[in-house]
Amino acid sequence: MASRASFQSPAPFSAQPMASTSSLVTPTLALLADPPVRQVDAAAMDYLLIEMVQTLRESEAVSSERLKKAEDEMIQAGFMPPTVAAREKQRKEKEKREKEKLRESTGSGAGSPAPGGGAGKGSVEEDAAEEGLRTRLEAIGVHVGGNIAERLCRERPRFTDTLDAVKFVCKDIWSICWDKQVDNLRTNHRGVYVLQDNQFKPICRISSYEGQQDAQRRARTYVALPAGIIKGAFARLGFDASITPEIPHLPQCKCQTY
Amino acid sequence: MAPSLQVLGVGYISPQNQPILIRYFSGKKKDGLKFHYIAHTSLDVFEERKCYLGLLYAMDDFAVYGYITPLRVKIVLTIALTDNLVRDADVTMIFRALHMAYYHALANPFLRLDAPYDAVVDHTALLVQSKTQWKGFRRRVDEVARACGVNVPPDGEET
Repeated sequence: MASRASFQSPAPFSAQPMASTSSLVTPTLALLADPPVRQVDAAAMDYLLIEMVQTLRESEAVSSERLKKAEDEMIQAGFMPPTVAAREKQRKEKEKREKEKLRESTGSGAGSPAPGGGAGKGSVEEDAAEEGLRTRLEAIGVHVGGNIAERLCRERPRFTDTLDAVKFVCKDIWSICWDKQVDNLRTNHRGVYVLQDNQFKPICRISSYEGQQDAQRRARTYVALPAGIIKGAFARLGFDASITPEIPHLPQCKCQTY
Repeated sequence: MAPSLQVLGVGYISPQNQPILIRYFSGKKKDGLKFHYIAHTSLDVFEERKCYLGLLYAMDDFAVYGYITPLRVKIVLTIALTDNLVRDADVTMIFRALHMAYYHALANPFLRLDAPYDAVVDHTALLVQSKTQWKGFRRRVDEVARACGVNVPPDGEET
């Protein structure tokens, strides 16, 4: 079974300076002698995330298509008032027309032909689809996070307060799932915590041939599952948190929880 | 291991004070209500005592012990009062076994496939499902009880 622990750097939680009585026992040797228990297969998680995003994206498209068809049928039959839907559509048509006018006046861009005309309508729908995809990923993550928290909390004593629980998430959950700990934890002492990871594992290898901006945009989808895991862990611990992940620049990731 | 304790009933209560499972081994249907009442009374004692749990209270013919897991699921154990000395270590071990039963039952990833996407589901509600489903949890609790020497008829009891 491939374990993706890096043996070059010692585990962060043993970061106290070792008062070395013997010079032979380095942190590396200690790691080799007593490897930490791995709860998550990192490689499988990586592949699963990649495949999951693809599959769920298509599944979400099919599902929302089906939903829209059902809605349209209801509107046709007169069961649902067309007000909200039709108004939205009219607004979108107007936006699209305006965008097309702009696009024609600035000349054809370097983008691919397909989004040229339909980008006005396309981007709004695409955002909705991505949003749906992210919601699904987060729901899966909630489930996973809750169960991981359950597993980890079996032996430990109860949490004293919110900060204790947040620290548990930062250290234990992060190192179980992503092989490291959170780099920076900030709080405003009023219930908002910001967890910052400068090399967030799920997104540190994302790249896109359309450039850094595009990679950053795509990374937002991939971060939905980890955000769900954190949310699920907090929920299982008893804290109803809402998590907002942000990617200032790859591969840094900040999560705000309230 | 000669069983010196006689386990009468087990109750699991969620962090939101909802009952998850109440299981009793006395064989008479009407006792069900009694054990629900015991679990309810225990909730007050849990509230009072935040730290040391163990013997919660004793009534005429039984004693009730309590245990709270790190994720705040409460387990209530009812034991017949006899003249034998009940060791704390024994009771703790029974509670650990009950906790493991709960933990294994909850680890089932297929516990709830139709959860709504945006709700944070109360995970313990999953185990409160109707009696015909999720028999696995009940079976595990029965196993623990059998290990304690209780005579549990195989899959005949309904709570």
